Amino acid sequence: MRTLLLALLLVPAGAAAYDRGELTEFNDMYRSGDYQEALDGYRQVIAREPSNQWGYFNAGNALYRLNRPGPAVYNYARAFMLDPRDGEIRANLEFALRQTGQTLVPEGAPAALHYAYYFVAEAELKALALLLFWLACLAGAAAFLLDGNKLGLAAGRASAGAALLLLLTLAWLGARQSSPFSSAGVVTKAGGTLMLSGPGENFKTYASAPEGRIVKILDTGDEAYYEIGLPKEGIKGWALKTDVERL
Amino acid sequence: MSRFASLSAAALAVLLWAGPASAVLNVAADIDRDTVEINGNLYLTVAVSGDSASVPEPKLPNLQSFNIYSSGRSQSISIINGKITTSVTFTYILTPRFIGQQKIPPITVSNGRETAATPELTVTVTKARQAAGQPQQAQPARPTRQSRGVQQAARTAATRGDQLFLKAETDRKSAYPGEQINISIKFYTSVPLSSNPQYVPPAFTNLISEDLPPVRNGEADIGGVRYAYSEIKAALFGLNPGPAVIRPATVVAQVPAQDAIDPFDPNFFQKFMAISGAQGQTREFITETLNLEIKPLPAGAPPGFSGAVGNYTVSAALDRPEARAGEAVNFSVTVAGSGNLKTVVAPKFPELPDFKVFDTMSSHDVKKDNDLITGKKTFTYILVPRSEGRKTIPPLKFAYFDPHTAVYKQLETDSVSITVQKGGQGAKTVNFNNAPGGGQVTASGSDIRYVSDSAGGDALPLLAAAVLGLPWWTHTAPLALLTLSFWLARFNRFKLANPLLFRARRARSEAFHDITTAEKFIKEGKHNEAVSEVYDSFMNYLSDKSGVKVSALTIRKAAELVKKRFPAVSEASIDEMRDLWQALELRHFSPEAAGAEGASDLVKKYSLLVMRLEKELK
Repeated sequence: MRTLLLALLLVPAGAAAYDRGELTEFNDMYRSGDYQEALDGYRQVIAREPSNQWGYFNAGNALYRLNRPGPAVYNYARAFMLDPRDGEIRANLEFALRQTGQTLVPEGAPAALHYAYYFVAEAELKALALLLFWLACLAGAAAFLLDGNKLGLAAGRASAGAALLLLLTLAWLGARQSSPFSSAGVVTKAGGTLMLSGPGENFKTYASAPEGRIVKILDTGDEAYYEIGLPKEGIKGWALKTDVERL
Repeated sequence: MSRFASLSAAALAVLLWAGPASAVLNVAADIDRDTVEINGNLYLTVAVSGDSASVPEPKLPNLQSFNIYSSGRSQSISIINGKITTSVTFTYILTPRFIGQQKIPPITVSNGRETAATPELTVTVTKARQAAGQPQQAQPARPTRQSRGVQQAARTAATRGDQLFLKAETDRKSAYPGEQINISIKFYTSVPLSSNPQYVPPAFTNLISEDLPPVRNGEADIGGVRYAYSEIKAALFGLNPGPAVIRPATVVAQVPAQDAIDPFDPNFFQKFMAISGAQGQTREFITETLNLEIKPLPAGAPPGFSGAVGNYTVSAALDRPEARAGEAVNFSVTVAGSGNLKTVVAPKFPELPDFKVFDTMSSHDVKKDNDLITGKKTFTYILVPRSEGRKTIPPLKFAYFDPHTAVYKQLETDSVSITVQKGGQGAKTVNFNNAPGGGQVTASGSDIRYVSDSAGGDALPLLAAAVLGLPWWTHTAPLALLTLSFWLARFNRFKLANPLLFRARRARSEAFHDITTAEKFIKEGKHNEAVSEVYDSFMNYLSDKSGVKVSALTIRKAAELVKKRFPAVSEASIDEMRDLWQALELRHFSPEAAGAEGASDLVKKYSLLVMRLEKELK
């Protein structure tokens, strides 16, 4: 147990080994207009550190400059999912969404409520739920082992508190399943993707999803196609997996 | 130079002046001719342009050489990529008062931050031409019912023998708020004047006025006396129901001391100047105060009526049929017709979820043809489509009161549609702020924020990634520990709650353990220890099974206790138990009698008895 906790505490320090000199080099490329070269660099960062939100953010910027709104929205969305509290990330995601006819904050929804709803990233919520689960179990075990003891009573209360927080976290997590970014993807193909009535070219095309549109991914079972849905328009169809990047 | 050419030149001048980036407020002035006769009129055009939705009115200098009448204004607003440019052209009619080179000093405009001025203009005022060549504008206005009334009033003054007099008349005595009332002020003279007289317009209560230039000049025969007259007209609009007052107008004229020159001589001005103005005297003429009645509007105004009175049409249009999401488009609603357009307010714009609606700007063009205030007022809404698709702006309603029929009327614009394409990099989002004042920040567009220099490695996302990166089975460990602890706690509680049960279950194993020990003693030749071991073991066994310490009991009592606790036990087992008990007591308490063979038998008997009792004592 001690080893596990130690590992959890040490991992962030080790993972922050992002070469600042390298980053400066990529940002210099961006500054001088070499967006493609900068993008390649940012992609290296993402490959090395998939949980680094700034890799996605900067890649989104480079893609936006390359006039690729779809991949830009995808990268901003990934950055947002990792760090939804950051104002810069929110601003660029909102900007890119607006350029593609979408909004980050749904119309009529109070901005403060939306901010609170996304205050914690989904991964953070899941990790928090796991940590609370560990805490509730360990405290509960201590309460059983120290049965009849004052310490056992305190451990029991701690376990109950952690369990309550766990339930709240799970409820929050459940509510987040209705988020546009949950089970979602972004149309990254230039010009948009065709939505077919089935997973194959022999099916009829009856709609198209524009580039940059965030879509719900309803079925991932097929090898080559996702079943995607456009909740706002109330339509669904099958799109090539190569056209839609899963968030 | 024609008037249109002058306007074009003025507009060109404004454009040229707008060149420097720092100069956002510009003014240009132009006149339609450089030379004007003393009895003619001159158009002065002042064009003001700026980079906000409203520009200031020019401040006209004190022109002693001219009478000035406002002849309307024309405003245009252009919005390109969120940049607002407003151009307003003010037109004035100048009536010269003196012959010779006259100067129009610089005209200034100021918006509080900047001041701009025009260059000085020079006009040559010449004597009047022969009567045969009099321009059309100098002819008297066509006779009307009102002019007949004025003539009647003038005749009264003429019969008093006045050589000069001033008369004011309105075309109606009552009107609705916002309904046009025309006032005519005529200055009659039967004697020559040293110069064109100076006119001071009247003040108004509960009325606003609009000049109706040009000044009409003409002749009239009143009571057998030939008069020359100048007529100035103005349009008045009542503000609120109740009385309205037109206070006296004033004309100041230089009148010769002696009537030496015929006023109908075409060159009477020159002759008059020739005899020197010093010989004349300054006289002031005033009109009577006129009272009007402003009637209240009838009840039953439709919803959306905001006080517009007159006769109007309304139309709506977009500046383009297509746009991209996030791009600003201009939606214009134009109210055109006759009435006081200055007071017409913008129709209420409906809530449109498909658009962001920014501030409204208005511009108006006013015409004064045939002494009627007409024109159009255009309200420009800045709309930014939120999403792509075919979007429709529903009809807008505009209500007004028609004073001729005394009924309210309601008009609707046509619905207007626009095709919105998806937004792109070029789409700009703009914010408009046309509030007056200096030093404001005006957003002209927006863009993504710059790349981050942050190295990442923020604790929370990385910690979350580390936790989620653990193999799933590691998360079963706390659950297993919890389950185990739970079981242990329950077992402990059960054990504490049922001590006899655990003693009874433990008795067999302990008995066999003792038997093994006893056998070990026998092998070592320690027979007495072996018997003692078996005796103690037997007592403990019975105590564990019965739950009572039997060593303190008699054999009979112990047997009864066992039978009571375990009714299924056989009599044979009870008998064997008694036999073993007696044998053990005998050997235990007289060990010298115990031989090796006897100890071994006792151990065997005890072993067999335990096995038998284990089957029966359940």
